[in-house]
Amino acid sequence: MNNKIYPRAVFKEIENMKPMAFNSTPFILYQDIKVEDIDIFEDAWGFNSEFNDVIDFLGKVKVVPGQSLTKTLIEKIRKQV
Amino acid sequence: MISDYELIMRFIKGEQSCFEKLIHRHKNKVFAYISLYIRDQALAEDIFQDTFLKVIQSVKAGKYSDNGKFLSWVMRIAHNLIIDHFRRLKQMNTISNDNYESDLFNSKRFAEDNVEDDMIKKQIHQDVRKMISHLPDDQREVVILRHYAGLSFREIADITDVSINTALGRMRYALINMRKLIEEKNISLTLN
Repeated sequence: MNNKIYPRAVFKEIENMKPMAFNSTPFILYQDIKVEDIDIFEDAWGFNSEFNDVIDFLGKVKVVPGQSLTKTLIEKIRKQV
Repeated sequence: MISDYELIMRFIKGEQSCFEKLIHRHKNKVFAYISLYIRDQALAEDIFQDTFLKVIQSVKAGKYSDNGKFLSWVMRIAHNLIIDHFRRLKQMNTISNDNYESDLFNSKRFAEDNVEDDMIKKQIHQDVRKMISHLPDDQREVVILRHYAGLSFREIADITDVSINTALGRMRYALINMRKLIEEKNISLTLN
């Protein structure tokens, strides 16, 4: 009689259900949340998700000083010190 | 890894090589900030050197107090030197920053790439640089400090003497403006 009111599939699902602890997302501790290298303000404003294309584009550029420039600087510092 | 503070302490005690380690640790970020902001390569190199020379003078004079933010402090010195430079230019009533043009990315080598890839990368570099240069000064500075110098928004706010919200707002406008520019100029965002 109940089978007509409740589809069989629902019962089957309930029969197969396990206690939450076995198949639910485990709780994580506050200490486990990785916050290093994350700017909480930036995160809150959602720049990375909203502008990921522009930010990725910016990341394609690496500006580095030439070896000779660094060498000259170190030589100057050695003289000064 | 030895902390910046420990390296400074050792440098003060006479270990000169410790300051050289600091330079190698932070040079890329400091140079990126200065050269993307100044644009003129030769001038950027001068200010880059002056920044570290001034850092040494200040450390020796006991003006550095550690709060775990050595890089942020160095950036502030670089920022002040850049401001001084523009003030001098204004007083002399000479050329503007926009008149400078140089190959900013010539220090980046792509030895393993073939000629075509190299050309595409150079094109992307030019596009990125143009995009940044089109931004108003305050927005450009936030973008450079965040994405090339790697500073947090709290540090950016400290250096530029604005609130964190203002710095975040400038970044948001900068990102919106850059996206508009990408669409207007039909810039490809990926390497093909």
